[in-house]
Amino acid sequence: MASSPIADLTYRNYDGPLDPPVNRWWAIAKMSMRLSTKKKGFWVWASLSTFWYLILLAVFYFAETTATATTALGQGNPFFKNIVWKDQFLNAFSVSQLFMLILALLLGAGTIANDNRANALLVYLSKPCSKLDYVIGKWLGIFVPLTLVAAVPTLLFYVYCLLSYRSYGFLTQDPWLILRLLGMVMLPGFFHASATLGVSSLFQQGRLAGATYSALYFFGLFFTKAMQTVIFVNGPMGGESTAPPIVKSLYYCSIDGIQIGLAKIFLHTDGSQLFPGSMPVGVRFAIEAPSAVVFVPAFFGICGVFMLLAWSRIRAVEVVG
Amino acid sequence: MTIASVHNLVVKYGNFTALNGLSCEIPEGCTGLLGPNGAGKTTLLKTILGFVKPTSGSASILGMDIIQAGNAIRQKVGLMPEQDCHIPGMTAVQFVAYAGELAGMPASQALRRSHEVLDYCGLGEARYRNVETYSTGMKQRIKLAQALVHGPKLLLLDEPTNGLDPAGREDMLELVRSVSHGKGLNVLVSSHLLPDIERVCDRVIVVMKGELRAQGTIKDLKKIAGQPIDIELRDVCPPFVAAMQAQGASVMPPKRTTYRIQMAGLPEETAKIAMQVARDSGAQIRGFILAERSLEDAFLDAITSTSPPVSTQTSDGGNA
Amino acid sequence: MVTAQNVSRWYGQVIGLNDITCEIGPGITALLGMNGAGKTTLIRLITGQLRPTTGDLRVFGEEPFANPNVYRRLGYCPEIDNFYEHYTGREFVKFLARLDGLSKADSKSRTEEVLEMVGMADRADRKIAGYSKGMRQRIKLAQAMLHNPDMILLDEPLNGLDPVGRREFIDILGALANQGKAILVSSHILFEVEQMTRSLLLLHRGRLLATGDLGVIRSLIDKHPHQIRIETSEPRKAAALLASLPNIVSMKFDRSGDSIQLEVREPDSFYDALAKAVLESDLNLRGFSSPDNNLESVFKYLVEA
Repeated sequence: MASSPIADLTYRNYDGPLDPPVNRWWAIAKMSMRLSTKKKGFWVWASLSTFWYLILLAVFYFAETTATATTALGQGNPFFKNIVWKDQFLNAFSVSQLFMLILALLLGAGTIANDNRANALLVYLSKPCSKLDYVIGKWLGIFVPLTLVAAVPTLLFYVYCLLSYRSYGFLTQDPWLILRLLGMVMLPGFFHASATLGVSSLFQQGRLAGATYSALYFFGLFFTKAMQTVIFVNGPMGGESTAPPIVKSLYYCSIDGIQIGLAKIFLHTDGSQLFPGSMPVGVRFAIEAPSAVVFVPAFFGICGVFMLLAWSRIRAVEVVG
Repeated sequence: MTIASVHNLVVKYGNFTALNGLSCEIPEGCTGLLGPNGAGKTTLLKTILGFVKPTSGSASILGMDIIQAGNAIRQKVGLMPEQDCHIPGMTAVQFVAYAGELAGMPASQALRRSHEVLDYCGLGEARYRNVETYSTGMKQRIKLAQALVHGPKLLLLDEPTNGLDPAGREDMLELVRSVSHGKGLNVLVSSHLLPDIERVCDRVIVVMKGELRAQGTIKDLKKIAGQPIDIELRDVCPPFVAAMQAQGASVMPPKRTTYRIQMAGLPEETAKIAMQVARDSGAQIRGFILAERSLEDAFLDAITSTSPPVSTQTSDGGNA
Repeated sequence: MVTAQNVSRWYGQVIGLNDITCEIGPGITALLGMNGAGKTTLIRLITGQLRPTTGDLRVFGEEPFANPNVYRRLGYCPEIDNFYEHYTGREFVKFLARLDGLSKADSKSRTEEVLEMVGMADRADRKIAGYSKGMRQRIKLAQAMLHNPDMILLDEPLNGLDPVGRREFIDILGALANQGKAILVSSHILFEVEQMTRSLLLLHRGRLLATGDLGVIRSLIDKHPHQIRIETSEPRKAAALLASLPNIVSMKFDRSGDSIQLEVREPDSFYDALAKAVLESDLNLRGFSSPDNNLESVFKYLVEA
């Protein structure tokens, strides 16, 4: 074809490359993440969620500087001698729960609800995207950022400890700690992604979905705190509580409870007090880990129910007309 | 080449039969899909896109089977739905590029093509705004843009002029017409507004109660047997009618000032006679054309008649 | 029935209607205009939902704002679909009849009358939630006619109707107009309007752009010469013949080669001359028509002027 000096700028069809119409979930996940990371709130709350690690760093620093003056040479620092390393990670994990909730609300609550309002499904499903692509893409779009938010400070702290405190048994206490930590950091992403999708799919407005999800969270939290009180009231400070075991299980029946419970299962610990070394050895200030047989299936079961809810609410048939 | 061929398609929702053995062929070009509410137009579009599984029968779109190749079909088909739809939280450019990516375009191509398509759709600087702030007319344009971005071979339009004011309608129809003629893009338009269909389509398919009622070119459907002519006078003029009848013509009662006249001989001859008669009886002819039914009449005829479907595709086949 | 004298209405800084002077009489009048031209404002003023900021608006000789005397003679059929969805059509209309102040027995008989009028009597026992758009529009019209008003205002009544429903609806409106009622219909869809009426009220950016009969308005638009399309198998011969006629402003051959497009002034005398020229030659015409002699072109010429 001889090219004319005047270009024809009327409509032309696109004949460029097209990826095969499979696995479109990746495009959806990518866009969800791109939109999430554009939100200023995401960065603010993600930074705030690391604050317990920062406090720990400060505590470690002061423990070290004060200890060099008071401890005899070659004795080692008593603060670090008594420390249970993995419990530090567990504590940071527990403390970041509220921030994870806020992030989940920010990223997750609106996803399907806002799409419902804008009829966005029409756009998705009329392209070579299946319902499964949509759900997987949306799920990953919440799971990946939340997991990264949990993982990055945890791993940095792990590396820091690994470099500084090997002599205090950081590696020998639990050689598999890194794998356990990797399991733990995926928990909030997994739970919040599933749950917010389920809740979000019930609504037409992101705000309502968010309000509902936070209501669920805080009711659960209230319940957990009530159980905690029951446990500690029934036991002398530092002693074994006389509260029936069911109460200890119920303690884990909330959105953050179940995640902390599972984290304990993954880390293989019952947890200990927030600041290491401030209590005599052998005194318990923690509630023992829940039964793995019950809580691991329960965790995935609940996530599954939420996913099913989302799945059943997304209907391709309604798409035209 | 046929774009879509549908064979004895039956679609049921529970006990309700939405498509009842529909068979039709959609050739290249721009085709209108007509039918009253609940006739099964929407179900047909849904089935083409693979949202609804047919109970029996088969259909192939662009040579691909609807049951096996749902995703592959949707990559080659663009849908502009009737309702407002967009993906929240994005600017128009982002939205259209994203729609392209969903259809499988590489990200770099998608953004380039997104700008290109928005140019065709006449969205200027507004493309950098969030879609949520758009007016009805702009929302229609953005819907068309997202349906076109991945370069589909078949474009499905469901009520594309819904809610637009006259200028907006004009623009939208012009747009549809320009993309659908000579650009390798085939269009299926479903609309209640028959003049719109007439503006952009060459052919129509009429469905009713899930069955095909008529298909063919608009020109053929509008033809009236006997070649009568319509003569428009300036004013109503009884002497003209009387004189024409005296010439052996049958004159139907006027619609406003337009008379439909039927007489033996070629239409050109009839016209000459009418002009002569008009001059003699002091009437002024404001226009005359070979009479044809309005598409609306043809449509109403097709859906009320009980006779088997009218097919007029023999006459000149696909004139695309 | 409605007279407006220099009526304006603005909302803060936004002007809705700007200095409108017009009259609306019996029969169907079409209210046309683009989005935001002020159609809804005008309807709201007439139905007394708003008070004109300046100017004098009278409906049946009285000011409509908060005036039940006027409301009693007005029927209004809004654009939006707001029903009690769980009612049946009959219950809904009857309920509104009771609101209109009819007694229980009267409201019952009146409900049947209006449902009959809009052709819904046999379908009115289904829940409104399951109604199609056409049925909803009919119910809206039925409730607007309950108190036998002298004037009915309809905002986009044909929106979403299929061709069958549209034709039936237009027939209903035509019958009402023949009873001497004033009907004001706002619509975007010009060919529908053309089927209903030739009497217009055209608003543009809050100003009244044109009012009156379509034919009169068209002939007054002098800026755009009349277009006439002549179809013939011998276009060049026809052109040679026609070139001598007065009034022709321009002449153009069609690409397909079987028609010529003319622009003429003073079409009245041109048509006479055309007939004479054709009859006195052996020219065979297949047809001629005026493509811009319709509402769509008139609307375009007026709005774009």
